[in-house]
Amino acid sequence: MSAPRQTLQLQVNGAEAEVRVGLHDSLLTVLRDQLQLTAAKRGCNQGVCGACTVVRDGYTVRACLSLAHGCTHADIETLEGLNQEASMQALQKAFAAESAFQCGFCAPGMLISAHALLLHNPSPDADQVRAAMSGNLCRCTGYAPIVVAVLQAAAHLRAQELAP
Amino acid sequence: MLQGFFLPETVDQATALLAQDPEAKLMAGGATLVAMLNARVIEPAALISLSAIPEIQGISVLPDGRIRIGAFTRHRETAQCTLHLGAAAVLRHAASQIANATVRNMGTIGGSISFADPGLDYPPALVAAQAEVEIAGSGSRRMVAAHDFFQDWYLTALEPGEMVTAVVLPKPQAGAHGVYIKHARVAGDYATASVAACVSAQGQIRVTVGACGPVPIRDDDADALLSEDRSESALARAGALLQARADPLDDVRGSANYRRALIPRLLLRAVRQLALPVGALQ
Repeated sequence: MSAPRQTLQLQVNGAEAEVRVGLHDSLLTVLRDQLQLTAAKRGCNQGVCGACTVVRDGYTVRACLSLAHGCTHADIETLEGLNQEASMQALQKAFAAESAFQCGFCAPGMLISAHALLLHNPSPDADQVRAAMSGNLCRCTGYAPIVVAVLQAAAHLRAQELAP
Repeated sequence: MLQGFFLPETVDQATALLAQDPEAKLMAGGATLVAMLNARVIEPAALISLSAIPEIQGISVLPDGRIRIGAFTRHRETAQCTLHLGAAAVLRHAASQIANATVRNMGTIGGSISFADPGLDYPPALVAAQAEVEIAGSGSRRMVAAHDFFQDWYLTALEPGEMVTAVVLPKPQAGAHGVYIKHARVAGDYATASVAACVSAQGQIRVTVGACGPVPIRDDDADALLSEDRSESALARAGALLQARADPLDDVRGSANYRRALIPRLLLRAVRQLALPVGALQ
């Protein structure tokens, strides 16, 4: 027996999206399975790993812990939408240059968390980067190249005076 | 199976919904509740989201100077709030050490304390700060001291049909201060053990231990001792009194003995931090 489904309007990456969701469906399920926005990953589905991190009304949240029914009045941004921003592009280049990912599963969540950090603090030190990224798990890199990449992107953005 | 999702706009509407359907669950930030739904640990008949109730959002100063933190206030807001002065700083310190930035954007103080996991950061901080919990039922309101709110493992003073609407902190005093010292395995984990400590302008100390028993642990004699004497021997005696009251479990975060051993060490750090000159309200 399946749960009743309802039609909802969500605001995702600046556009209205109509979705059919069950009451228990998370924002992550809707993004990935209905809107084909697959950057956010389903890792633990428990809010621990950070692979599903997206932005809601300007703040990072776990998409797996956000019920779609609770997102109808929210402005949702995913990596697909943030891709065009200069700060995100600088982070992506730095992640590639520093080999800050191997399997890549954590990278979208890492990028969202790093982007949120640079938005509020354009000149973080390494400890601030580690603190800001502490909610995102990576099982490949050992984290060191991720910290280097975020610092490098921040320095690049400051040099370009493109800091968000 | 979930059959309903409600979005009440007042506390009365929320408690009326809860009265109609005892199988419904209140949902605040969802950081814990949705994880439990995903794991199928709970399968409520309906969810009552508290996200659209203005009365329980945000932090304000009451006419008598006390600080009221609405139940739906996110940890991020509590961690950044400049109203948490004097002893109330303990709450700011505790909020800033919960999980990670993303979870602090989601979780709320009302959701956190209603869940009442003994490893949470708010319970010892609220007990140390002599906070009160504002509770609403169907047509009723009452206040409960934080010390009495936490009753046992995951058990609070909330009766069926009731919800937390706010946490109220005493009016901040100039010269008072509060600190929260947390020991965790890794950044963002629940506490293995923690100590919250507040000192009044007159030097009265109030210490509370977290994650070392079903509820936050206090000892009146330890507080009286430390209020008079903060020498190493007094700290050791106070630490032993608190250890004697602890009733920790063995779990993945540490053995019961390890937790007991942490108490005097965290107490030492907390009292040393309290002793730092605080100057004006901060």
